[in-house]
Amino acid sequence: MPIYEQSYREYDGELRHKYRWVIIIQQELRVLIKSKFFLMMMLFAMLHVILRLLQVTAYDVIAQDPNSPLALAFSQIADFAVDNLLFFDFIRIQSPVVFLVVLFAGSGMICNDFNNNLVDVYFAKPITWRDYAIGKIGTLVLIGLVLTAVPGIILVGVHNMLLPGLETVKESWVWIPAILGFSLVIILPCVTAVLASSALIKSKNFAAISIFMLLMANSAFGATLAGVLRNPNYFVWAFPLTINRLGQVMFKDTRLIFQTHWMWSLAIVAVVTGVSTLIVCMKIRRAEVA
Amino acid sequence: MTGGFVDYLIDIKDLEVHYGSFHALKGVDLQINGGAVGLLGPNGAGKSTLMKTILGFNRPSNGTVNILGYTMPEHALEVRQRLGYMPEREVVSPNISAVSFLTYCGQLLGMSRVDARERCHEVLNYVGLEENRYRNTETYSTGMLQRLKLAQALIHDPQVLLLDEPTNGLDPDSRLEMLDLVRDLAVTRKVTVLLSSHLLPDIQYVCDYIVIINEGDMVKQGNVEELTEKHDKQYEVRVRDNKSQYMDRVVEAGFQCGEMKNGNLWVSQPNGENPQALFEIAKHCDTQVRHFHPSRQTLSEVFMHAVGKDS
Repeated sequence: MPIYEQSYREYDGELRHKYRWVIIIQQELRVLIKSKFFLMMMLFAMLHVILRLLQVTAYDVIAQDPNSPLALAFSQIADFAVDNLLFFDFIRIQSPVVFLVVLFAGSGMICNDFNNNLVDVYFAKPITWRDYAIGKIGTLVLIGLVLTAVPGIILVGVHNMLLPGLETVKESWVWIPAILGFSLVIILPCVTAVLASSALIKSKNFAAISIFMLLMANSAFGATLAGVLRNPNYFVWAFPLTINRLGQVMFKDTRLIFQTHWMWSLAIVAVVTGVSTLIVCMKIRRAEVA
Repeated sequence: MTGGFVDYLIDIKDLEVHYGSFHALKGVDLQINGGAVGLLGPNGAGKSTLMKTILGFNRPSNGTVNILGYTMPEHALEVRQRLGYMPEREVVSPNISAVSFLTYCGQLLGMSRVDARERCHEVLNYVGLEENRYRNTETYSTGMLQRLKLAQALIHDPQVLLLDEPTNGLDPDSRLEMLDLVRDLAVTRKVTVLLSSHLLPDIQYVCDYIVIINEGDMVKQGNVEELTEKHDKQYEVRVRDNKSQYMDRVVEAGFQCGEMKNGNLWVSQPNGENPQALFEIAKHCDTQVRHFHPSRQTLSEVFMHAVGKDS
């Protein structure tokens, strides 16, 4: 008889109940980080962050120094100043990258679990459809924030640290809620729509292509409507532009493309996010409770 | 009722489940208090539906389901924490190893990551996947995936284990190994096992109590011994030689007689006759009775009778 049986014993450890969605987020991130393509996309997205970091540093260190020979040259460059528009442009330019990263990470998130029959296994554990949905949505929102709000807020912090005194803090703290708000306006509809597509379509590739085509078609529709009817206000129906409109409101940007009230843009974003979330929740709930 | 002392680990009364207009379970009553229980029935009989109702996936339209003292589906989370479920369909977790997958399952059950990691190694050893634990599960064979499914059901040392067709797609060797594992769990580890299958030998190999379901109805249940009861005045006989002569003489003596698939004879004793006569006849035929046993119904006969296919 062996002195030690290398087999499983009775488990007498504690089984905790709370926050199972955190486990789901951790696991999804672990799986994503193993993908080289995902890491490359994230690194590519960080190039923009590095460029903006250089811009902030150059503006605060060189352009603000009257003795620097480069100060005059830098002050001549358009859009070089560190102001609300810099952060608006930073997040706006990040938005296509966020869309592509979320598309890659999220298009298979639900359909793969269904195709591989993992849903039965997961829901046989003490998790609810809410845990599952929050876990999936939370993962993608977190990735989106890492690409937009987190570097945005870091840039605000760097800007304040490089300049003496607290005057800039008073001026720039209002950018932080704007950065967070604009990031969420970009991320939430994008994440929920991609997950809804993944819940409705069985193939990861088709789910990704469907959302991509839908966005292209929507943009074309808005632009065509505005062109044919000779009224730029119809651009509100082009989803990327309607999001842009909300960003302009948050960052007090006056370079408006169309004059439709921003509440309409907010309503469109809310409807897209709400309907997509509803689809995701219904589909997942049906897997847990037939 | 919530936990505490319970009369039955699984206590189901008058359970009815509908899928839209389809009546999937029709008034099922089932009480289980340990051991290995076989859920037997043809495809589409309602076995998986019953298991999913025990897990709280299906909402009963009538009746009560109490698992480990918890009413379902209200206390589904408490029950799922104490239950292990091995689904019928193939489960693959792409891009990750068995260790990662099981650790994740353990964490979903509420274990700390360290506990789950330690436990997953133990369970993988137990199911025989220790050599392949770090391989991507996508590269696993069907047999290995079945073992992985069993491992994820065992990770938290459940009180009750629900196994839905655990030998599906396995070759004969793997099938026997899987059945040995399940039997060991029930006998040695004292885990209550509810094993669903349409394969009679699997059920007979593992279970000591059998429930037969057909078209949503529970048509028969009982111990294997009770179900395969002895036939009244019917015997299984094997003679050394002169079998045909012996059969002729037995029939002449007023018995009914026939040959079974295994070469033995079944002999039915008419009223008023004494089975001692069968030995006398053997003596006259210059042969010896080598096997004489009151004949039993096979499980197959019981099953066919229960599902109404015993023409």
